[in-house]
Amino acid sequence: MNIAPTIEGGLRIDPETAEDWQILRAIAVDANSHGIDLANRLGGLITDETIAEDWQDIVVPDLREMFMDDLNHIQAAIETASAFPKDGETPIWITREDAFTWYSSLNQARLALEEKYNFGQDPESDAGNLTPLRHEALLRSHFYCALQSFILKHALTL
Amino acid sequence: MPDTTTITETETNVSTQAPWNVVVHDDPVNLMAYVTYVLMKIFGYNEKAATAMMLQVHRQGLSIVWSGELEKAEFYAQQLQFHQLKTTLEKAG
Repeated sequence: MNIAPTIEGGLRIDPETAEDWQILRAIAVDANSHGIDLANRLGGLITDETIAEDWQDIVVPDLREMFMDDLNHIQAAIETASAFPKDGETPIWITREDAFTWYSSLNQARLALEEKYNFGQDPESDAGNLTPLRHEALLRSHFYCALQSFILKHALTL
Repeated sequence: MPDTTTITETETNVSTQAPWNVVVHDDPVNLMAYVTYVLMKIFGYNEKAATAMMLQVHRQGLSIVWSGELEKAEFYAQQLQFHQLKTTLEKAG
């Protein structure tokens, strides 16, 4: 997979192998897996009795809808690129306008993986003892983090 | 010359309600540069101030990133949660 900045201030992703497509499709799968409701977990941090109920009723549904919209957006971008190659290429474009949507989706996936596998601060210290499933999850988490760093550096600007 | 008196009255409105703190907590996922970016974007802080708050979150586990009236505090907390930062609201003092 090649990832490169564009002159418009975004990124271009060129998947090359079936594994590349698999890991890109795994972003939404990971974010939606493990039964973790990120909106509820974030919203649940507001516990003061004067505002907690309104927060649950008003803010949490908005958070949930926004997070789901972000995942749907990137899923559509990935599947559209896959279905309609141009001149033998299947680039996925991350424009400045949807950089945050991508960043958010990758964050949701990493949060879900962290919640499930609890990698902690130094997961590599125990790399030899990782089960295959856990090791694959760690590699995906590293890839998501690397892509987030690219987005932060090249596309997510104020 | 008319005999006039000018009376100046000054009224100051002071809210008796305690301010609210918007608190960002550390988590193992959000990148340090992203936390700085979000604080600059939402509050308009300059990079130096936002970085100092981010480092406080990283080193001490949390940072009060804004204090003031409840309505604004709720707005800011909502924005921070939209950006997936662990955020709480606490009464100051």
